[in-house]
Amino acid sequence: MKTSIHAVLRLFFADRRGLLWGGVALAALTVFAGMGLLGLSGWFITATALAGLAAGTALAFDVFTPGAGIRLLALVRTAGRYGERVVTHDAALAVIATLRPRLFAGWARPEAARRLLARPARLLFRLTADADALDALYLRLLVPAGAACAAIALVGVMLGVVSLPLGLAMAGWLLATGAGILAWTARRSRRAACRRAYAIEALRAQAIDLVSGQTELAMAGRLTAQCRMLARTEHRLAAADDTINRADAQGGFLQAMAGTMALAATLAACVLLVAGSAIGAPVAALALLLVLTSAEPLTPLRRGTLELGRTLLAIRRLAPRLDAPEAAPARAASGDILIEHASLRHDSRPGLSTNVALEGITLAIRPGERVAVIGPSGAGKSTLLALVAGERLPSSGRVLAPASCLLTQRTELFQDSVRDNLRLARPDAGDDALWAALRAAGLDQAIAALPAGLDTRLGEGGLGLSAGQARRLALARLFLRPTQLWLLDEPTEGLDAPTARDVIARLAGQARDHTLLIATHIRREAVLADRIVVLAAGTVAADLRRGTPAFDHRLHTLRPD
Amino acid sequence: MAGSLTWLVQAGILASAVQRMAADPGDVAAGLLAAAGFLLAGVVRAGCDAWGARLSFQVARRRLSALRAAAVDALAGGSPLDKRRPAAGHAASVLAEQADAALPYLARYPAIQLKILVVPLAILAAVAPLSWVAALVLLASAPLIPVFMALVGWRAQRASQAHLAEMGTLNAFLLDRLRGLATLRALDAVDATTGRLAYVAQTLRTRTMAVLRIAFLSSAVLELFSAIGVAMVAVYVGFHLLGTLPFGTWGSPLTLGQGLFVLLLAPSFFEPLRDLSTAWHDRAAGRAALEALRALSSAPSKLVGGAAPFPPSGNTPAHRPPPAVELVQLRFAHADAAPSVIGGLHLRVASGERVAITGPSGAGKSTLLALIAGLVPAQSGAVVIDGVTLDDQSAPRLRARMAWIGQKPHVFAGTLGANVALGRPDVDAQAVGHALEAATLEQLAGREAGRPLGESGIGLSGGECLRLAMARAAAAPGSDLWLADEPTAHLDAATARELTRRLLAQSAGRTLIVATHDPELASHMDRVIDLAALRPAPADTEMAALAAVGAAS
Repeated sequence: MKTSIHAVLRLFFADRRGLLWGGVALAALTVFAGMGLLGLSGWFITATALAGLAAGTALAFDVFTPGAGIRLLALVRTAGRYGERVVTHDAALAVIATLRPRLFAGWARPEAARRLLARPARLLFRLTADADALDALYLRLLVPAGAACAAIALVGVMLGVVSLPLGLAMAGWLLATGAGILAWTARRSRRAACRRAYAIEALRAQAIDLVSGQTELAMAGRLTAQCRMLARTEHRLAAADDTINRADAQGGFLQAMAGTMALAATLAACVLLVAGSAIGAPVAALALLLVLTSAEPLTPLRRGTLELGRTLLAIRRLAPRLDAPEAAPARAASGDILIEHASLRHDSRPGLSTNVALEGITLAIRPGERVAVIGPSGAGKSTLLALVAGERLPSSGRVLAPASCLLTQRTELFQDSVRDNLRLARPDAGDDALWAALRAAGLDQAIAALPAGLDTRLGEGGLGLSAGQARRLALARLFLRPTQLWLLDEPTEGLDAPTARDVIARLAGQARDHTLLIATHIRREAVLADRIVVLAAGTVAADLRRGTPAFDHRLHTLRPD
Repeated sequence: MAGSLTWLVQAGILASAVQRMAADPGDVAAGLLAAAGFLLAGVVRAGCDAWGARLSFQVARRRLSALRAAAVDALAGGSPLDKRRPAAGHAASVLAEQADAALPYLARYPAIQLKILVVPLAILAAVAPLSWVAALVLLASAPLIPVFMALVGWRAQRASQAHLAEMGTLNAFLLDRLRGLATLRALDAVDATTGRLAYVAQTLRTRTMAVLRIAFLSSAVLELFSAIGVAMVAVYVGFHLLGTLPFGTWGSPLTLGQGLFVLLLAPSFFEPLRDLSTAWHDRAAGRAALEALRALSSAPSKLVGGAAPFPPSGNTPAHRPPPAVELVQLRFAHADAAPSVIGGLHLRVASGERVAITGPSGAGKSTLLALIAGLVPAQSGAVVIDGVTLDDQSAPRLRARMAWIGQKPHVFAGTLGANVALGRPDVDAQAVGHALEAATLEQLAGREAGRPLGESGIGLSGGECLRLAMARAAAAPGSDLWLADEPTAHLDAATARELTRRLLAQSAGRTLIVATHDPELASHMDRVIDLAALRPAPADTEMAALAAVGAAS
């Protein structure tokens, strides 16, 4: 946990140290000015009153210095508040601008990416919620904490000048009660804040089940049951909210009591000091008003500590993704793919007796070869592709492969222009190259017919294109990619027969001297290959070449369209 | 509220104590008494504040629960075919996070509103009898309060909206790219995307700061007025006590205690206003959330019979024949489309008959099935099942006899077994086992043993999803009317053939109505009804419909 907090703080303070501390300093300055304004005013009024009583001193009393001071402090306070807000928000946005890309880079690492892809929606939602919770660390905790410390220090110094024991006692009391009450509030609400985060996640998942699965639930007579389940989750959420609110109210009560006691004690001390002629009434007024205003920054800090549990949860979950990304796996210099005795085990899952994905695979593929990898689902086809792509590392054995481009089974397009979707494959590609790739994929006419052409923005998940068009766009991206090795994972899955046949023909046309590795269980895809590798239960069961009867036989056992 | 007013007492005690210190430094007993009094008033104040905060929270929290429950009930009782229905993701976001944002608004805003009405007036009432000038200084800023409130209000609102919108954009960008991570990795575009994300975040920062600066500037004006107000009161009181400004009171000049009292009250005069400007953000988010919740709670088109549970299955006769289905003058149109999807349809499906409903997309095949299941109410006409007309009263009882196989079944968060049972009390582990066998899902059951299925069925193929739907139907204890909506639409030929075989095997002893445009599936049914042929001619609706039914049978 400690290292997690360090990782997050390091990220915050890495390149914007000045800005972040500047925000805290401005917050402190604002508090100083506010305290000074009231303290000086109190001193001024009391001093003038005493001077006014004695007619002689009234004329000699210097009213201009304190008067100007009051006006100056009023301006400083206003300017300080404005500056504080601008700087702290700018700093918080700077943190956001650093945090999001770092999180992305962290999650993009192979082993993290695999976990994310298994449960996208829930994990993704959690990720953004956590990132938002992390932002609060600076604005809601660090800034008010800095301001509160500054306020207590000012009280300590000013009262210390009046009377050293009083100053020390007051600063000590404010610090001890402040820290104690905040720690108590944080501890009381910590569990509830986590429970709250989990309950909101559950509420979300159950609401999605209710709406997306409404027909199924209605036909099973389970709608009322689902509503009741949502009501129970809402009840848990309400209970957590209530615990947090109670901690807040009690913390607020204790803070107010600590403040009142400090003020009453200062009043009593001043009464004694004035009686002993150690100080005059004006200084007593100054001391009282300083103590009065020192409590101001504690309230926002309390609000921040209430969410500490949530923030710590976010830190715990996000920190592992904030480390520097690891180096890319070594690439083979030649175009050969060499796999020697490679085995790979899945992370062990409960309830599964076997967790071996690939066992002792040895395979050599020459540049320009076209290989189909076939086998029943679960035989390890996609895992073999991931090994070659460098997405996964073998548990034992050796894998050497050149840089490759994988055409994923599911077509993934982004909320961006068609041009930028294509340029992901080759960032420096000009429009001519993009149109050529679209033509090769058979999508040029459809894109040209759009009013905005290449600048057309795609919706979420490529919304606006049909499944066939989306596949063709993915194909164009593959054609743009300057790698010699193509990995195709069921390239025509989910397409209707005519589109699938056209996609295969275009792939064959563009493949020329590329090395092809195709994971498939459909005949129309396998005919692209001149070598078939049969996988069964994670091992190579057969390695067949075109022209042999075994090859033709295998091809015909595959599913037709 | 009472807490804020107690401050008047505390300020009075404090001011008079200082006066006594100035006038009679030796009177220690009176001073200590004042300290004790101050402490006592402080306890009352802190207690009132804490108690008030708890009370308003509890009221607000109950209200939020009620709003959520109303929205959930409306979502459950609305028709799944209603096109105006919110998408699942949107509904979930409103119910979960957005509704949560309403809580600070509901809990704090009313108290602040009350405070802004009462506290400044009470302070004026306390100050005015002492010094009309000080009261005037405070009052002078009072007419400005609404002006600045409005100014700060909509500036802050626009700023927070802009900020939230931009944050939403950034999160959406991150989500979108993480969703496509496999592709980004495959294209070696991770670094480029990280750079792009950083760039978007930076532009966002610049733009947001431009808006925020304006918002902060206008609240700085408010801050300035309150600081100047306090400073002016302090300077006036000081000069007055010095004798330089002898006017402004009612006859006798202010004493030190009265002067300090006025000074102590001045910041409190502006405090509710500052509370308001900080609560404005809560208000914008809260109002938007309440609006969104209200929108969820209005379901214009209802499920027939609502979300009512099925009656207990105990008293159904052991051997009853599967139901006949009769559609009488059935008419349906979507709310926004003028031409009816189904206009005056007559149809009779005999007990145990297997019928295919065919027709081009948009002919109303799926709608017809939904009408039979009561998933959407018909505009006119009736659905009669086994002699009982489907209405709000009979719907739960009739629906208990039906089973539904949709074209894109929803996979719930949970294990395969739980997905088959769906929590039905009369479906036990044994029934689930039989159902999995009937749908040939035992192999999958072995592979996924006890593990929660991937979210929205990731890891399940289209064929497996449909077999899951069939297992759900097979597990339903008393179901003898099966409705299948294009069960082979998204499957390849081999899987479709397999599914057809299983569906036929399972339909023995049941009435089966299948909406499909798969000729192979249709050819295995007892009867094929072409909805396009049934589509009534404008002139003679009923005759055409009846003639078409006659021709088909």
